[in-house]
Amino acid sequence: MGNKSFQRLKGMLAVDFYRLLHTPLWYIFLAIAAIIPAMIIGTTGMEGSQTAPLFTNVWEAIAVANPLYVIETIGQYANMNMVFIFGGIMVSIFIGHDYKSGYVKQLFTTHAKKQDYVMSKTITCAFAMATMCLTYLLGTVLAGLLVGLSFSVNFGSLVCALLGKLLMSFGWASLYVLINIIFRKHFWISIMLSFFFGTGILIIGVAGLVGNSAVLNLFLYGSSVYACLSSNLLSVVVCGLCSAVWTVIYNLVGTYILNKSDVY
Amino acid sequence: MNAIEISNLTKNYGEKQALAGLQMTVPVGAIYGFIGENGCGKSTTEKIICGLIHPTSGSIKLFGKDYTDAAVRSSIGVLIESPGCFPALTVWNNLMIQATNLSLPNKADAVREVLTLVRMEGAAGNKYKNCSLGMKQRVGIAMALLGQPKLLVLDEPINGLDADGMRIMREILVDVARKGTTVLISSHILGELEKVATHYGIMRHGKMVVEMTADELERSCPTFVALQTKDLATTKTVLEKQYKQVLTDEQQEFLRVYDAESAESVVKYLYAQGIIVTALKTDKIGLEEYYINLMARKEGK
Repeated sequence: MGNKSFQRLKGMLAVDFYRLLHTPLWYIFLAIAAIIPAMIIGTTGMEGSQTAPLFTNVWEAIAVANPLYVIETIGQYANMNMVFIFGGIMVSIFIGHDYKSGYVKQLFTTHAKKQDYVMSKTITCAFAMATMCLTYLLGTVLAGLLVGLSFSVNFGSLVCALLGKLLMSFGWASLYVLINIIFRKHFWISIMLSFFFGTGILIIGVAGLVGNSAVLNLFLYGSSVYACLSSNLLSVVVCGLCSAVWTVIYNLVGTYILNKSDVY
Repeated sequence: MNAIEISNLTKNYGEKQALAGLQMTVPVGAIYGFIGENGCGKSTTEKIICGLIHPTSGSIKLFGKDYTDAAVRSSIGVLIESPGCFPALTVWNNLMIQATNLSLPNKADAVREVLTLVRMEGAAGNKYKNCSLGMKQRVGIAMALLGQPKLLVLDEPINGLDADGMRIMREILVDVARKGTTVLISSHILGELEKVATHYGIMRHGKMVVEMTADELERSCPTFVALQTKDLATTKTVLEKQYKQVLTDEQQEFLRVYDAESAESVVKYLYAQGIIVTALKTDKIGLEEYYINLMARKEGK
């Protein structure tokens, strides 16, 4: 990347991060990410609660014990992967504002390269989702302490699982950016599709048909499940590669669409 | 050199043809009033110039270069429909965002300068969502002026403004043009446009009907004698015996005689018929009437 291109991207990133930090959207989603595990653990595991505890070990709220692509209990679904679902909604609102406010008119009239726009949104939204993962972790730990769940875990695997999830933020963010570019004039379709893909319904469906297979790690949802409590360094590498490859593909497709279609 | 040169521009949306071979020339330094009925293709043309939508065919040159040229693109300021501002941020922050996007070297100074130009120095701290419509439009102009563009494209910037807002907008446009910026402005408020425009382009059904300078418009607009009497209906009947073009004005207050040699000859004729003229003036039709007449002729009315 040339110096001029880098300067341009830097300017756009500065604006996107400024918006992220100076509007309530990101903070609301950070809070949501923290509250979700606290509510799941708190409402099902409290002493005297009528509901059976969903988890006995606090880290089950972060990731499943083994990479099962077909979920058998709701508990296997209720983990940090949920951040990627809510993150999709956040990305839709964040990019939707660009079009709703007419900001893209100013941006694309004067100077902006479509590629810079796609990259800047991906990086900003990936950062936002990664930070949501961290507040999710915080909410989980606090709720676990409050309820008195077990904290025993293979620490190395936990760190690898967390790193894997954080790396997956890039892949998920790039998918949502692409969806929002395709449906930029249809905000609600963007949100619904983000939710649809975020829940990994397609992969779960495929896994239901063909059974658990390592091939599913080629996809975002598969890799996100693969980052589990039995993770090792290979899991981190798989997550990183999957995330990077999909990010590049989605960014290229998004840039192509923006270049070839009417922007506003 | 011309600021904008458009040749055979077409734009199709599926079956619908929004632009049908548009020709358009905007000289450097002009305030170009871009006129036409709703849906005639003005906004489409402006969006194409700004690179927001792709033309189906045709050529567009800005300052002698292809409109996709990066250097040319960076010299355009734009206000299309509404300013692209984030409601929750202040006026100052919205302008700083645009200054950052433009990679301006001294952002704060540039923002202060445009705020002064649009008479908004005191409102920099206001949240954009709390600004009045007039203020929002001025923020939009300020945003478009950041980076000192050579071409300013404004789509309906005076719609919805009160009299004071329109006056301020007029002053801003004249200031900007005086500094050498070419302004392309579309509006339906022709009376206001007439006060600032140096050139006009009138569009209809995706094509340019006529392009002219303000002087040419002045020469094209016929003069008429307007008069009042106690009984306009009778007077009209009497005048129609002598003159071919006699009309009552919109307010039904004056009779207009378009083919009289002079005001004096009309008064003398009426006096001879026993009618006393109570008020008299000679005037010219304005841009609005010129436009209405032109469109009526095009529609064969």
